[in-house]
Amino acid sequence: MKRFDYIRPGNMADAIAALQANDEPYLLAGGTDLLIGMKTNAVKPKCLIDLKGIPGIDCIEYDNGFKLGALTTVRDVEVSPLIREKIPALSEAAATLGSIQIRNRATIGGNLCHGSPAADMAAILLAMNCELQMATGNGAKTMGLDQFFTGPNSTVLNRNEVLAQIIIPKEIGQFKGIYLKHGPRKAMDIGIVNIAILLDADVSSGFCNQIMIALGAVAPRPIRAKKAEALLNANRLTPELIQEAAEAASDEATPISDFRASAGYRKDLVKNLVAKGIDQILNSKDPS
Amino acid sequence: MESKHRIQITVNEEEHDLLVHPNRTLLDLLRYDLGLTGTKEGCDEGDCGACTVIVNGKVMTSCLVLAVEVDGAAITTIEGLHQGDELHPIQQAFVDSGAVQCGFCTPGMILTTKALLDEISDPSEDEIKHYLEGNLCRCTGYTKILDAVNNAVQLLK
Ligand SMILES: Cc1cc2nc3c(=O)[nH]c(=O)nc-3n(C[C@H](O)[C@H](O)[C@H](O)COP(=O)(O)OP(=O)(O)OC[C@H]3O[C@@H](n4cnc5c(N)ncnc54)[C@H](O)[C@@H]3O)c2cc1C
Ligand code: FES
Ligand code: FES
Repeated sequence: MKRFDYIRPGNMADAIAALQANDEPYLLAGGTDLLIGMKTNAVKPKCLIDLKGIPGIDCIEYDNGFKLGALTTVRDVEVSPLIREKIPALSEAAATLGSIQIRNRATIGGNLCHGSPAADMAAILLAMNCELQMATGNGAKTMGLDQFFTGPNSTVLNRNEVLAQIIIPKEIGQFKGIYLKHGPRKAMDIGIVNIAILLDADVSSGFCNQIMIALGAVAPRPIRAKKAEALLNANRLTPELIQEAAEAASDEATPISDFRASAGYRKDLVKNLVAKGIDQILNSKDPS
Repeated sequence: MESKHRIQITVNEEEHDLLVHPNRTLLDLLRYDLGLTGTKEGCDEGDCGACTVIVNGKVMTSCLVLAVEVDGAAITTIEGLHQGDELHPIQQAFVDSGAVQCGFCTPGMILTTKALLDEISDPSEDEIKHYLEGNLCRCTGYTKILDAVNNAVQLLK
């Protein structure tokens, strides 16, 4: 790794000031993406600003909805008793990321800010209609996570902005969720296709009040399958309708072919996993 | 700019006061500055788990940690497990189970097992596999490693 300077501010204002005062600054959270980039010289920071010294930036707060500090580790999300109880799909998605060693370092904010279309926290949080709170040179700023990603490894964040908090709305507690990550290996790999589904349905009649479907690794950024959602919202979930929606989701996916999988295979996977995910939620004994 | 930083860390209960460049990884600090070569370098990018150490009770791949980040931390490496002339029960279990062939993955495997058993004293097979996912072994085929973890559970009871 090339040489660089290291600063560990003790509060957010100092972090923003350090971003403005230094040449080629990069924010450091868990470093599990950043250090890889630095080792390969893909990124060459002159200064790292370590956010881990900011008090309270790794908090998990529950007040009907959740407020998650951006520096909360993926492991803390995985094992939080409150998250496991109220929104277990988030904990299940967290458990699929990397290894225990990586999850102990990797943060949810870093996962979003790196901007990978395959990021595990991105797909599940997108399905949860999250809001992001940013600290900037001109005060705080809020936006929906659906506005955040702009393309592969890019987000709307400017150089002098820090993601501070991820807010999960309280309604999400009434949804059942599922996270399906498909890849050649069960462990330690990003998915070929990731699907997150949140469903609020009447299990006995199969009536869908509302559904959110997010797709990862099948477009330049994590996306919502809006057409599929529109087909299912306020409708009875018959096998035919689920199939139709699964096909719509597959049409909405615009994957690339790479060494992991071909575009066609990814589109087929989207169709199968969306249908499977909805079925699994409807048939789950233990609501999640 | 780019000057050295002073850090104070405790490694295997011994305190160290060190000057480090920010680009020094914890792995290189342990191996080259402190001579603790039990921690291995495999992939250098977080994939293999050979460089696993325990930092403030949590396992991390030390190749992805900067030394400056762990100022004030308590670190355990494989050299810190034995008690006098006695192997740690988890080390003994790896020996007894034949879970070591070339030995390159073994320090990381043992430290991850320690973190697992500190957290869950009697883990299920699924819990063991989930916890050890980030430790690769090219030799044993893992069966003996699972045996070793189960043996360690018995030895620690
Ligand atoms: C072996 C291995 C396996 C992996 N497996 C997976 C996997 O299965 N699934 C997956 O999704 N990812 C995986 N990853 C990628 C990585 O671990 C995650 O994306 C992780 O969540 C990144 O978080 P971090 O805290 O380490 O980010 P960092 O590396 O610290 O930062 C990432 C980027 O975001 C910026 N940033 C960080 N925090 C903020 C903030 N609060 N505000 C503004 N910008 C910020 C940084 O400047 C940097 O550009 C893996 C990585 C490794 C090394
Ligand atoms: S050397 Fe660190 S994980 Fe392989
Ligand atoms: S014993 Fe050789 S890599 Fe595991």
